[in-house]
Amino acid sequence: MSNAGETTSDEIEDGKSGFFGRTESAKSRKRRRLITSLIVIFVSWELFGQFGIENRLFFAPLSDIAVSGYENWVNGELQKHISASFQELLYGMLLATVFGIAFGILIAINQSVREHCDPIVSALYATPTVAIAPILITAFGLGIASKVAVVFLIAVFPIIINTTVGIRQTQESFIETAYSFNATRWQVIAKVLVPSSIPFVIAGIRLGVGRGIVGVVVGELFGADMGLGIFIFEAGQTFDAAPQFLGILILCFAGMALTGLLQWTEKKIAPWHHFALDEE
Amino acid sequence: MRPGIILLLMKNDHMNVLENNVMMEIKGLSKEFSRNGEKLQALLEIDLDVVEGEFLCLVGPSGCGKTTFLRIVQGLIEKSAGSIELYGQPITQPSADRGFVFQQDNLYPWRTVIANARLGLELAGMETDQANARASEMLNLVGLEGFEHSYPRELSGGMRQRVNLARALTIDPKVLLMDEPFAALDAITREAMQTELLRIWREAGKTVMFVTHQIDEAVYLANRVVVMAPRPGRIEKIVTITETTERSETVKRSPEFHQAVDEIRDIIESHEREDIMA
Repeated sequence: MSNAGETTSDEIEDGKSGFFGRTESAKSRKRRRLITSLIVIFVSWELFGQFGIENRLFFAPLSDIAVSGYENWVNGELQKHISASFQELLYGMLLATVFGIAFGILIAINQSVREHCDPIVSALYATPTVAIAPILITAFGLGIASKVAVVFLIAVFPIIINTTVGIRQTQESFIETAYSFNATRWQVIAKVLVPSSIPFVIAGIRLGVGRGIVGVVVGELFGADMGLGIFIFEAGQTFDAAPQFLGILILCFAGMALTGLLQWTEKKIAPWHHFALDEE
Repeated sequence: MRPGIILLLMKNDHMNVLENNVMMEIKGLSKEFSRNGEKLQALLEIDLDVVEGEFLCLVGPSGCGKTTFLRIVQGLIEKSAGSIELYGQPITQPSADRGFVFQQDNLYPWRTVIANARLGLELAGMETDQANARASEMLNLVGLEGFEHSYPRELSGGMRQRVNLARALTIDPKVLLMDEPFAALDAITREAMQTELLRIWREAGKTVMFVTHQIDEAVYLANRVVVMAPRPGRIEKIVTITETTERSETVKRSPEFHQAVDEIRDIIESHEREDIMA
């Protein structure tokens, strides 16, 4: 069944032939497939930019973006903006994670808190909270504080909801097992509910990061003295497509890197967890 | 000598029990559930003495309250009336003197085998090193040496039930309460586990109360079989099974074994006939 570039997963598990006759692990196969996709995207981007679109107001070939990246790195502009955006995302996410997990647990385990807060959390999750960014910028100023607030507000809801769901999906019989050993309520929370919810919590943080990156950019567009959103906005004012795409690409890679980091974290702290359709 | 067992049928077995050491005394135990305002008598006036070191099986058709009974003994649910005393102490909540083996293994998927096995000790506040030492001792007893650091999903159903058993044994209970622990296993694994359980019971020297709906399982394992009847859940008969040689799987092929199984089946079925007539 195997032809030159393609190998079935069965064969890989058997440790037989792999890519170009070499044995290949699932990990290196995934990496190879990702690199293949990226090469196809980058080459078509460059070709499309060079030969497809004449108007450089809308589009820039990859080579122009690389030049823009080099220039902005050398004059130190890029680092300044990346650092500001990164700090906004980092602090916002840290606050959202700590508060989201704590509040999510509280909603899950306390009936009164749940009945008071759960419908409101759900409503706020569905509300486009970025719309509140202008008010937050008026309140907290043009520095990073206002963007941290935006990121927090937009990222916290999926974390709360996932933590709550994660705790409430815990098998009842697991809880009963702990009680059969005379566990206290706190022990049930710490030894059963929280560990059982970890994959859900991490999925919530991943959703939060995705929303958080949007929050950073939108927040900066409404008002900031520094950051990738401002970098993109200013390039837009001068109809310069290359730096705009540069900013977008950096944000895209930041998203990918953070998602990868979270997947890695999950493997470290929840090695037991096994998604359906995952390979062993 | 030919392997065999002798069956003693008795309506109540006070005579037999008096000579031995009673560890648990159950008197007039009743349990009433109310569902949607409707009262359901799950257990009615159960009297039972459990003898130290014995293997006691509770059999009966579904709905006879055998699992409810076991859960009350563990302290997982409250009784409506009556008393249960373990060495003179009334039972009100779970404690280290009783270890419960659930029908589903209920192993925590996020814990390794040894971390699952030490759960009871950990919850009781024992230090990890000490708890691990005790847990691995019990894992050896149930035949799981070398699997300490596996995760439950890497184990077969039979192995998972062994961990379940080890987890209950690590707290060193005076009595093991087992709720149909082999019901979810395939027939071959179940037979192997029954023989393993007899070995572990002998080596660990624990009293066992074992709930099952399979009569042959009960006859194979038990010193005494408590036959229960439904609506309301009550004890119908207590059957004493005396072995003439050490029990092994060959016992299952002896005529005495089948006779014992048939006798108990008759008791249960006579009730079901009455039920249908009524």
